[in-house]
Amino acid sequence: MKKRKLISAVMACSMVLALAGCGGNGSTPTTQTTTTAETTQTETTTPATTEGQTTTQAEASGDTITLKWAIWDQDATPYWMALKDAYEAKNDNVTIELIDLGSTDYMTVLATQLSGSTSAFDVVTVKDVPGYATLVQKNTIEPLDDYISAANIDLSLYGGATDQITVDGKLYQLPFRNDFWVLFYNKDLFDKAGIDYPTNDMTFEEYDALARQVSSSDFGSSVYGAHYHTWRSAVQLFGVLDGEHSILSGTYDFFKPYYELVLNQETDNICRSFTNLKTEGLHYSAAFSGGDVAMMNMGSWFISTMIANLQSGDYDSSLCGNWAIAKYPHAEGVEAGSTLGTITGIAVTTGASDKDAAWDFVEFVSGTEGAKVMAETGNFPAIMTSEAMDIISSLEGFPQDEQSKAALEVSNLYLEVPYAENVSEINSILDSYHSSIMSGEMTIDEGIAAMNDAIGKILNP
Amino acid sequence: MSEMKKREETKEVAASNIALIKGREQKERRRTLIALSFIAPNFIGFAVFTLIPVIFAFVLAFTKWDGSNPIQFAGIANFTKLFSDQFFLAALKNTIIYCIGTVPLTLIASLALAILLNQQIRGRGIFRTIAFFPYVASLVAVTAVWKMLFSQSGPVNAILYYIFHVENKDLPQWFVGNLVMVSYILFSVWKFMGYYMVIYLAGLQGISKELYEAASLDGANTWQKFASITWPQLKPTTFFVSVMLTINCFKVFDVATLLAGGDNNTLTVSSTVLVHYIYQKGFIEWDLGYASAVAMVLFLLVLAVTLIQFRGEKNYANS
Repeated sequence: MKKRKLISAVMACSMVLALAGCGGNGSTPTTQTTTTAETTQTETTTPATTEGQTTTQAEASGDTITLKWAIWDQDATPYWMALKDAYEAKNDNVTIELIDLGSTDYMTVLATQLSGSTSAFDVVTVKDVPGYATLVQKNTIEPLDDYISAANIDLSLYGGATDQITVDGKLYQLPFRNDFWVLFYNKDLFDKAGIDYPTNDMTFEEYDALARQVSSSDFGSSVYGAHYHTWRSAVQLFGVLDGEHSILSGTYDFFKPYYELVLNQETDNICRSFTNLKTEGLHYSAAFSGGDVAMMNMGSWFISTMIANLQSGDYDSSLCGNWAIAKYPHAEGVEAGSTLGTITGIAVTTGASDKDAAWDFVEFVSGTEGAKVMAETGNFPAIMTSEAMDIISSLEGFPQDEQSKAALEVSNLYLEVPYAENVSEINSILDSYHSSIMSGEMTIDEGIAAMNDAIGKILNP
Repeated sequence: MSEMKKREETKEVAASNIALIKGREQKERRRTLIALSFIAPNFIGFAVFTLIPVIFAFVLAFTKWDGSNPIQFAGIANFTKLFSDQFFLAALKNTIIYCIGTVPLTLIASLALAILLNQQIRGRGIFRTIAFFPYVASLVAVTAVWKMLFSQSGPVNAILYYIFHVENKDLPQWFVGNLVMVSYILFSVWKFMGYYMVIYLAGLQGISKELYEAASLDGANTWQKFASITWPQLKPTTFFVSVMLTINCFKVFDVATLLAGGDNNTLTVSSTVLVHYIYQKGFIEWDLGYASAVAMVLFLLVLAVTLIQFRGEKNYANS
């Protein structure tokens, strides 16, 4: 009998423990508060625990505020800490707590956490426009218009980018980083072939001819004239540079000439095959730094990667050390310097514990002071002041020729993905058929017809 | 007097009987409680993390919900949309092809391996370990190796080119178009046959040696022994293996994502599978209602196939 009682007591205990384990998120904050209050980097803290943390902290010390900021890849990305330090130096009473969600599925993780509780973070970084659309539709981020007009912010500084992410007349994020696509090229390969470098004003025909000229299939020293990463942006979006077409058009026949351009190059061995790139998982940085790619279209973020890796010796400077950049090629009749842009934004959550404080941080990061910090770390701020430009082009390791400096001037910037209600779904479909066309599963016409059909159903149900 | 005594005695007996019964009832109740307390931890976990979410998913299939805004009832709209959704139809077709290819092949391969490694051969333990190894190895690592082996300029195509003299332009692209499914199937058979081999080995050890001795005395050859003893005796194992395999095949996600997804995890109409599509709809596009509707189709599919298999098993048992 006694034994049985003992067993049931043990069982009851284990049940209670199991239950406590299930509800762990709710019950742990009290113990967590004291231990993690001082730490600024809590990568693995769950939303519920951090939630408990700020409120108690704010209450306890009266005027100190901790803002939880969702970011990715803290170790590999120097500007998070730089922005945090710059802001904290200016505001003694505010602590910015970086919460690293990793970059691979950052937007999915962020949206999931905010679905559970919008107060999981005070400030969030928004990595892409489909992710932005999700957060807006889920009512997890605040409209900023009142703050913007109260602070007299001049949105024209953002070069039109904010217009492309306005939702029903409201703006829910401000961009703080703005990357745009340029053409990277390896000067050595052009020298070796005795051909002039790419210029800042090339039509697609000229670009194609140049890629073919510089290519070489000589055994042991083969050169690819061009390289296109597997992203659809690298091929499809040549088509939106005329300013007349957009990925929200619903019909995509304007992609055709560019698919033809790239697939013909592939057939003629001017560039690596898409299928190989996809199965072998060759990263664009490895392709370019390998020294057998003459030209590669890529975002301006790759500039800081090149500089850093050449300095650290991770890239062999005898293979790719003599690099430069030129403006994106353009269609006949389109202004040179028209290019694709990708913005990274920052927003205040609807559940933020102190929205005014959160806004103040957002204003700092997206404003001219934040822009300076971004430029100093070698990144392109959303507000491209001439000061920021000069900082970047005078970074040690930035190509010293005048053309590379001039290549940073953008005439028209079209977002890779502008805002639309169904942009996530449209994005998935375009991605998928891009793979189908590039891998030869479908002909260009079949792929485009399938895009038109599937996206037509979404836009006109 | 004696009457009275007798009556009192019977009363006492009755009272003690009642007490006994009561005691027994109490004991019974306590036992039930103890039993329940044993089941409870597991069941509570199951209910919270499986049962309630499954029921919730059923309900969600008839709604429109993005995980944050209020749930809107959508009737059967999600289900009617399914039939005009080319990605869903492609995913359904691919998943079925994958199952039809993988289940029988894995079954045959694992049974053959089990029979082979059930013989008294030298180094049997080593061979068994080798056969089981793919199952233990990390999926991410082995898919990376497979992608290298089957890449356009990889060793497999090199063999085709140099030994079988296949023209360069005719070399197969293993992760594109119709061949994707072949790659998935080949990979899965190789990866999972070791596990089912172990189950078959256990089944083989359970077959009485006397049956084989008797058959030998009757002059049965190896094939006859297999057909009349091994195969029938292994029916319960085969049933178990086929049910588990079918369910696992319908759930395929990781193999597809890792072999054909590329760095942005994009599957085309020839490579997409149901679970990947559910993930994409649910957690990339946040259309949880529609994702649940696709999940319901998957559930019904698995249920139907499993019921058919159970009926087959019953028929076998009756015969």
